[in-house]
Amino acid sequence: MLATYLNSLREAFNRRVALVLIGIALLISVLLNSFVRIQSFPDGTDVVLMGSRSLGPAETAVPDIVEKASSLLGTLLPLLAIFAAAPMLASTLEKGWLELTFSKGTPRWKIFFGRFLGGATLYSCTFLLATFPLAYRLWWQTYVSTWQVIVALLLETLGFVALLAVAALATLPQKGVALPIMASVAIWFFSSPLAHRYTTYYQFLNSYTARWLVDWIYRIFPKCSELDSLSSSFIQHGHITSWWPIWSTGIFTVAVLGLALGMLDRKSF
Amino acid sequence: MFSAPQAAIEIEDLRKTYQTMRGKPVPALQGVSLQVQRGSIYGLIGQNGAGKTSLVKILLGLSTPTGGEARLLGGLPGDPAAMRRIGYLPEQMRLPEYFKAKDFLCYMGRLNNVSSALLQNRIPRLLEKAGLAGVEKPVGSYSKGMQQRLGLAQALVNDPEVLFLDEPTDGLDPVGRKDVRDLLLSLRAAGKTIFLNSHLLSEIEMVCDQIVILNQGKVACMAAPAEFTRGTGEYRVRVAALSHAAQEVAEAVVGRASWEQDTLCCRPRDLAQLNFLIDRLRAVPVEIESIEPVKLTLEQFFLQVVSGKEQ
Repeated sequence: MLATYLNSLREAFNRRVALVLIGIALLISVLLNSFVRIQSFPDGTDVVLMGSRSLGPAETAVPDIVEKASSLLGTLLPLLAIFAAAPMLASTLEKGWLELTFSKGTPRWKIFFGRFLGGATLYSCTFLLATFPLAYRLWWQTYVSTWQVIVALLLETLGFVALLAVAALATLPQKGVALPIMASVAIWFFSSPLAHRYTTYYQFLNSYTARWLVDWIYRIFPKCSELDSLSSSFIQHGHITSWWPIWSTGIFTVAVLGLALGMLDRKSF
Repeated sequence: MFSAPQAAIEIEDLRKTYQTMRGKPVPALQGVSLQVQRGSIYGLIGQNGAGKTSLVKILLGLSTPTGGEARLLGGLPGDPAAMRRIGYLPEQMRLPEYFKAKDFLCYMGRLNNVSSALLQNRIPRLLEKAGLAGVEKPVGSYSKGMQQRLGLAQALVNDPEVLFLDEPTDGLDPVGRKDVRDLLLSLRAAGKTIFLNSHLLSEIEMVCDQIVILNQGKVACMAAPAEFTRGTGEYRVRVAALSHAAQEVAEAVVGRASWEQDTLCCRPRDLAQLNFLIDRLRAVPVEIESIEPVKLTLEQFFLQVVSGKEQ
């Protein structure tokens, strides 16, 4: 599995998708770092400035800035990364390649799972590259702790891994990368309206059955937007406000990924 | 029940039926049974759609049979422990363009749980054997022949006991083909079992110990090449100069005989009648240049089998 994992990263770099993601992460990181400045006063207080606008004392402004950076990436990055990671899964089943790899002494599920981990690594590394330099610099200059960004990274990665599990399952029934991308983008897109279903769907759904159905869809599907909010809240307050999005998304991911790997192992090519 | 413990591949009443989109069954294999002995080269031939690829896919665990049973080195197809002891060269390979030959072989070896130390030692020798030593460019810029050589090398990277080769000489020039033939013979000498799938019947004829002809999902014939290419009972007698007297003698001895310029084609009853014919021709006198039995080529035999003329 390690060989497949390393090869998936190598493939991502050689197909330039990893370079594009890293390029975007570095660009975001450079932009954030160039806009944010710290001004120290003789009385020992530090004030955070964004451009020429003051964001207030470091104690409150630093978590605010790191949270905004994390939130921006949590919204932007899953979409970009799914376009990069889904082809890594789909290419496993390309004719001429699957015969070569699936006839070897490594179980199919391990080969596929190694590539899945490669996709998840690509996402988390990009997120880390975009946020960590700013978080580290702010901590270095103000001594206001920013380690919470690591927990935010884990929460955002959980949301992405759930989307990638959907892509993995959607890879199996047909060839190509369109269905995996569409399926995971749809899940990502509906996660926010489902989380706020009382103010979205329930406005026009009066039927009890329809609301019951929407409720269950919400319960089952991954809660990407809530995980994003949770990571923002953790950066601000330093504690998890609700475990529900974490464990329900975790169960969804394990179940969907397990189903995909099981189906792949039994699939007749 | 399987009975031959030294058989590398055992197949018993193997069946595979595909379903069309409308659910119509399409049989690919209809009760195939055969045993492939260790240390031999088996050639699998058949028309397109005869079931060759289905059979190989089932043996490699890529496809599940509808019925029957198959065993590979005593294990079930797809069992990782058994798969680590086999090598496979598919007919259509998609090699990632960014790989260099050495890295590709290393990856294939790691998928077969070959240790890095062993690979470091083995890969240069394999590249040398495949004629790719010193080639540093990425696989994407390889010619078809070079890709085929690399495909062969990856099939050997785990030093397999059984090799499945699908069209191994495809895209190779005559020298490359000879290299592959020599390689196959040296592997057989080293005790490897080779299951060869090819449309190049002359290649099959030259290297295989046993040939299996699949026709419409069934084993139509299985024998040594010599049995396929046995004599037809016809002889070709070439004389130095054709004369009217010689023609009369031939007709008198063997009855119906045809002449192609100065070569007599006839079907004597037995060897004694052939010798009698030669004696009579010599007595004419006619000078005999050559006598040769007419043998079927594998291609002729194959065509007879698939057209239903040969049982």
